Amino acid sequence: MLIVANSAAQQMTQRQTELFANNCIQCHAFEESGAPNIGDVKAWEHRAAKGEEVLLRHVIEGFQGMPPLGYCSACNEEDFRAMVKAIAGLPLLNPGEVK
Amino acid sequence: MIQRREFIKKSLTLAVGAAVGATLSGCGEPSTEPHTPISFTPGKPLPWVNWAGNHACTPRLRHAPTTEDEVASILKNSTGIVRPVGASHSFSAVVPTDDTFITTDLLKGLVGHNPDTLEAELMAGTRMHAVGAMLESVGQALPNMPDMNYPSMGGAIATSVHATGTELGSMSSYVTGLTLATPSGDLIDCDREKNSEIFQAARTSIGALGVVTKMRLQNQQPFELTEFGSMANTEEVLEDWDRLCEQYRHYEILPIPYSSLSLSVGTRLAKPGDKSSGEDDPQAVHMLRNVYESVAWMPGIGQYAYDKILNLAATDAGVDTVRTGKSFEVFPHARIVRFREMEYTVPAEVGAQCLREILATIEKKRLPLFFPLEYRVVKGDDAWLSMFHQRDGAAISVHQYGDLDYKAPFAEIEPIFWKYGGRPHWGKIHTLDNRQLAELYPHWNDFQEVRRELDPSGKMLNSHLKTLFGA
Repeated sequence: MLIVANSAAQQMTQRQTELFANNCIQCHAFEESGAPNIGDVKAWEHRAAKGEEVLLRHVIEGFQGMPPLGYCSACNEEDFRAMVKAIAGLPLLNPGEVK
Repeated sequence: MIQRREFIKKSLTLAVGAAVGATLSGCGEPSTEPHTPISFTPGKPLPWVNWAGNHACTPRLRHAPTTEDEVASILKNSTGIVRPVGASHSFSAVVPTDDTFITTDLLKGLVGHNPDTLEAELMAGTRMHAVGAMLESVGQALPNMPDMNYPSMGGAIATSVHATGTELGSMSSYVTGLTLATPSGDLIDCDREKNSEIFQAARTSIGALGVVTKMRLQNQQPFELTEFGSMANTEEVLEDWDRLCEQYRHYEILPIPYSSLSLSVGTRLAKPGDKSSGEDDPQAVHMLRNVYESVAWMPGIGQYAYDKILNLAATDAGVDTVRTGKSFEVFPHARIVRFREMEYTVPAEVGAQCLREILATIEKKRLPLFFPLEYRVVKGDDAWLSMFHQRDGAAISVHQYGDLDYKAPFAEIEPIFWKYGGRPHWGKIHTLDNRQLAELYPHWNDFQEVRRELDPSGKMLNSHLKTLFGA
C-alpha cells in the first residue's frame, strides 16, 4: 500500500479525507489495482496535462478502469475536485492552459 | 493445469498467427469501456452512474448522514422516492431515483465486538475492503468474502452477495442482528428473538424496508488462505466436482465459452511453506477477447480454431498461479475490465446440467458471449429473500463486455435459468417481476407483509422495485 501525503491532500476537509479513505485509496494506493497511484509522478504527468476539467469528467462519468464517481455517491463536485488534486499530486491545468 | 497469464499470452500468439492476413484488429487491447449513459457538466447537478455504466439518474437530493439518527430523520422527512446507496456496484436498477439518495459512505466503522462469541458490529456503509483489517484488529475475520471487495456491507447483505464454498453461506447468512431505519423514521433493532420477522426480511431486503444502518456479524478467528489458479478441462472438472469441493474450502470455475476449458480457482487453508507465485492479471479477459476475435471470422472453422488454440496453449504453458496470505487479502481480486452480468442461482444438484446447457446454447445459437462465465456453490440459509433460501445453490454468472450489447444474448440465456428453478441475484441483471418471483420464494408473501407494514406509501420503491414487488 502506497500513501504519499502532498499539499493538496493536506488541504482536504475532514469529510473529504474520510470519503477519500473510504473510496479512492482502495485502488489508488495499491499497485496491483492497475490504477495510477497517489504520488506516482510518472503515472500522473500526462494525465495532469489534460487539465482538471477533463480529469473531473473522467472521474464522474467513469473512464477505462476508473469506475463512475470512484464509488463515491456521497461526493459532490467540490469533493471530487479536491480528491483529484490530492491523488494526482501535481498542479492541474485550467481549461485555457491545457497542452 | 497451467498458469493463467502464460496461457492467455500463448493463446494470443497462436491466434494472431492463425489470423495473418485477416482484417481484424488482432493485437492490442480492445476497449471494453461502456458508453457513459449520462454526461457531466461542471457546475450542473451531479449525475449518478453505477459501476457497469448501465444505469444512471440525477437525484434532486443527495444526503450523506454520519449517524443513525440522521438517517432516520432524513427518511421521516423525505418526500418522493428515497433510495439507499452503497458502492453502486449492482448491475440491476436497485438505486436510480431522481428524488432522494441516502448515501452510506460516512456511516462506517466498527461499533463493537464480542471476543467470546466472535461477533462484531459494523456500520452498514463500511466498505468490504476495510473490513478485513478492522476485524483483524479485534481478533476476528469474516468466514468468507466475494472475489472483489468494493461493495458496502449494507449493499452486500441487501442483495445477498456471496462467494463460493459448499459449507459457506452468503454474506446475509452471517448476520446475527441488525438495526433498520424505517421509512417512517424509527430505528428498529432486530435479531432471531427480537422483531424476528423484520430480521428475516431485512437480512436480504434490496433496500425495500428502509435503510439498514448497522449489522452484527458472526465471524471467526483470523485465518490464512492459499489460492491456486489454473486452467482445466470444464467437463473433467464438473465430473470431479464433489471431490474438488472437498479438497478446497472454496472452489469455482470460470468456463470459457466456445472452448472446452475453464479457469479453475481452488482455495484452501494455508499450510506452512505455501508461497505465492505467478501473477494475477485483471486484464486477461481483454486478451481472451482478442484471441476470439482473431479467429472467429474464419468461415466454418472459427470456433474449432479457437478451442484448438486455447487447448494448444494450455498444453504448452507453465504452472499454477498461487496466492497465499491473510484471508481478506487472498479473497479479493482487482476488477478493472468493466462488464455487465446476469446471475441466477439454481439448486446445487442441477447446477452442472444448467451450466452445460448454457454453454451448449451459446455455441448452438452463436451468441456473442465470449467473456468467461462463473460457476460457484453456496450453502443454503433461511433469510426470506436470499437466493439460497432453504436450498444449497449453484450460482451461474453470464457476463458481457461493457461495450457490447448484453440484452439480446442475455434474453437467450435467461429462460434456461427459469427451466431449472433459478432465482436471480438481486444485484444483477434479470427480467423477473412480482408474479414470477413470488413462485420462487416460500416466504414472499411474508416479506411483502413486512414491507407494506413498514412502508405503506411505497417511499422506498423506485421503478425497479415496483416491478419486483408489484406495487
